Amino acid sequence: MTGTLSYLAFFATEVLVNFIAVLGLNVQWGFAGLFNVGVAGFVGIGAYVSALLTVPPWHGAPGPGHIGGLGLPVLVGWAGAALASAASAAVVGVATLRLRADYLAIGTFGIAVALHELAANAQGLTGGPFGIAFIPHLLATVPPGGLARGFLDLAITALAAGAAWFAIDRITAGPFGRALRALAQDEAAAASLGCDPRRLRIQAMALGAAAMGLAGAVQASLIGYIAPDNFVPILTFQIWAMLVVGGVGSHRGALLGVLAVWGLWSAAGGLFAAILPPSMATGGASLRIVAIGVAIAASLLWRPRGLSPPGRIVSRFLR
Amino acid sequence: MNPQFLADGILTGALLGLGGVGLTLAYSILRFANFVHGDFLTVGAYAALVVAGALSQFLGGSGIGPFSFGWPLIVALPVAMAITGALALLLDWLLFRRLRRRGEEIVLVMASFGASLAVRSLIEFAFTPEPKYYSRDLQIAMPLGFGVRATPDQLAVVVLAALAGIALHLLLTRTAMGRAMRAVAENPELARVAGIDPARVVRATWWLGGGLAALAGVFLGLTVQIRPYMGFDLLLPLFAGVILGGVGSVPGALAGGMIVGVAEALAVPFIGAAWRGGVAFLLLLAVLLVRPQGLFGMER
Amino acid sequence: MTTLAVENIVAGYEKGLPIVRGVSFAVAAGEIVTLLGPNGAGKSTLAKAIAGLVPERGGGIALDATRITAPAHALVRAGIAFVPQTDNVFARMTIRENLEIGAAVLPRPRRAGRIAAMLETFPALAARPKLPAGRLSGGQRQMLAIARALIPEPRVLLLDEPSAGLSPALVAGVFSGIAAIAQQGVAVVLVEQNVAAALGIAHRALVLVEGRIAHDGPAPPLRDGKLLARLFLGRAEGAEAA
Ligand SMILES: Nc1ncnc2c1ncn2[C@@H]1O[C@H](COP(=O)(O)OP(=O)(O)OP(=O)(O)O)[C@@H](O)[C@H]1O
Ligand SMILES: [Mg+2]
Repeated sequence: MTGTLSYLAFFATEVLVNFIAVLGLNVQWGFAGLFNVGVAGFVGIGAYVSALLTVPPWHGAPGPGHIGGLGLPVLVGWAGAALASAASAAVVGVATLRLRADYLAIGTFGIAVALHELAANAQGLTGGPFGIAFIPHLLATVPPGGLARGFLDLAITALAAGAAWFAIDRITAGPFGRALRALAQDEAAAASLGCDPRRLRIQAMALGAAAMGLAGAVQASLIGYIAPDNFVPILTFQIWAMLVVGGVGSHRGALLGVLAVWGLWSAAGGLFAAILPPSMATGGASLRIVAIGVAIAASLLWRPRGLSPPGRIVSRFLR
Repeated sequence: MNPQFLADGILTGALLGLGGVGLTLAYSILRFANFVHGDFLTVGAYAALVVAGALSQFLGGSGIGPFSFGWPLIVALPVAMAITGALALLLDWLLFRRLRRRGEEIVLVMASFGASLAVRSLIEFAFTPEPKYYSRDLQIAMPLGFGVRATPDQLAVVVLAALAGIALHLLLTRTAMGRAMRAVAENPELARVAGIDPARVVRATWWLGGGLAALAGVFLGLTVQIRPYMGFDLLLPLFAGVILGGVGSVPGALAGGMIVGVAEALAVPFIGAAWRGGVAFLLLLAVLLVRPQGLFGMER
Repeated sequence: MTTLAVENIVAGYEKGLPIVRGVSFAVAAGEIVTLLGPNGAGKSTLAKAIAGLVPERGGGIALDATRITAPAHALVRAGIAFVPQTDNVFARMTIRENLEIGAAVLPRPRRAGRIAAMLETFPALAARPKLPAGRLSGGQRQMLAIARALIPEPRVLLLDEPSAGLSPALVAGVFSGIAAIAQQGVAVVLVEQNVAAALGIAHRALVLVEGRIAHDGPAPPLRDGKLLARLFLGRAEGAEAA
């Protein structure tokens, strides 16, 4: 019973962390039609920046020459994470957004690859392949492992996700969101009304990446440990699958999509673990990725609007 | 400066050029950034591994002359190219063709990203993540002068890649299909009223792009190793080379690949070997900021 | 002898938004029919629909009394040639390559002969066959586009504003060339804004207004301009009333 409950709490926590990142992607793709192939990179920036800001100076230093943490409060780390992600997204946006749409895809893909390399190789800064440990929890009073901690984590994540949802919903329902929608419908008309399309898109890129960075920071502080291989293309893909399955352009649909994809992902993991012999565990992990790859391709073909089509707000790329 | 790094860079550059040619053709003719292209290299390398393994029972497993490979791999090479081309066509038929009809480029990019993960993970499932080799023979690097050493395999790869580049250039400039491909890349609507069947050109593009990717993949497997991520790890340098050379330009892709390969190699003594992605990314950003149409490209 | 028959054609870029709304006309072998009308009337769209580039939503076309429906590239083989209004040469390819692309629909043995014939007809192109088409002057470019279209010896030639951007002297040259092509038995449809020049060589004129034929008759009576002005203006009054 306790086992089930604590698993449920863990599952819900993971869903909400992913939801924060999906919200960010929804701003970029659902509202602004920007194709970001580097989601994992922006989540990773958030995780690493928050870790570097919050880890106490005397901990987490795997070797001499480690630059080490600053020991700042966790919430400062989270804010720094969002800012750092937003800034790096803006850089990619400035470089690529005056060009063909798929240059942004290549640029974001590039930043994700380069950042993964940085995380894996810059021993002194990131701990290299060993990652960074001892990332402080927001409320470190409850010891890890128990049911109480599970629900505390859930509550913290729910608060963070709720705040992100509220903020992003406010922003996308306000003038900024209206401008983005006008841009999506008719770029020339929007430009003649005084919107600067390129600037709007860079802002949307940055806002979305801020949410992704926050997701990374929250996850890092819950688990207490990060490593480069948490931020690889499969993460990008999961976030995309959640958004596409849930329905592009609708924040509530996004939550449904996260539930569906994360549920499927976990169930598929359990299923493959049950039916495949332990010697084929890595094979099962691969098959799970194949399954999700096929699922996203199929939903692009047959349900481009997702499970819960939004009202009027549809990315202009998915009519 | 150590000329050995330059030599290594030329080898990498030749592979990037060869892989980039297919990518640039697909980009300009099919009009989307194809993220599966890196995995086509991987598919080609594994296909050749399987075919050569089967053939070595009949053709003998030892290498020819100074090379580590023998007849099995030589025969397997065209087979692997055909298999990869066929896979590219199959993906087009299942996925890209339908999305293309809806006319949404960026959805194609996304579908290719999904297909790339699926293909890569299927290979990982079938062959395990363990690296594989065409031959266990260790090759001795021969001195070439100026302190540069290279194995016979590496020399063969550079020469063959150059020959493939020349053959491709002749194909595109001297044959009707080559001209048709360039015509569709430049102006699809005019190509149609000039009597060119776009479906035929699309098929030819996938065959050619897949085949060349397989060639690059086998060469990569021959000179480095065969891993499920071998092609995907090359995707960023490939894109950087293609954009550097100018999307749609075949000489541009060859030159761009060479520049990226050499730049990576030259950076090694200063920042270490683990940073090739970062070098490619910085090159990419620089090109996009300074000359987005690329060295050989025209304004679009 | 009707070569091209257009029968009640309806065409547009999006479903439910017809640009060409039921147009019928016929062109005989050797006849030049000019298609006039205000900007945005749908002239280019009509030409593209005949060439198979814009989906037909109703009606159809017949070549030599045979109904044909085919994708654009197959219509070229059937004998319909189209020279678009803009971007009508492959700018990054050489003059010779442009012609070779036009010749690719022919059986191999005939290709070289047809290319040579075109270079003879348009000597300006023969001077530097390796020049990229993007570096040609406006008039040379137009000639190359027409030459490319003529290589397969089409039965029907659709020209969309071949005089656009040409000096008056060049227009005269291009148009006398078009008249010569028609004399060899080609049915020519000439979309034009340069009304005077077009009426100078056309046998018949159609005026297209808002996707419909507002006038269909011999070209000479239109040359004094008053009738034509009324036809063009009639559209403006009609639009106000609507
Ligand atoms: N590719 C397209 N997609 C959607 N609508 C188009 C397209 N091309 C043209 N139109 C619309 O079709 C209508 C008719 O255009 P068309 O080019 O046929 O006019 P036209 O008579 O050739 O004008 P002009 O004399 O200026 O060349 C216009 O309202 C135009 O906006
Ligand atoms: Mg027109």
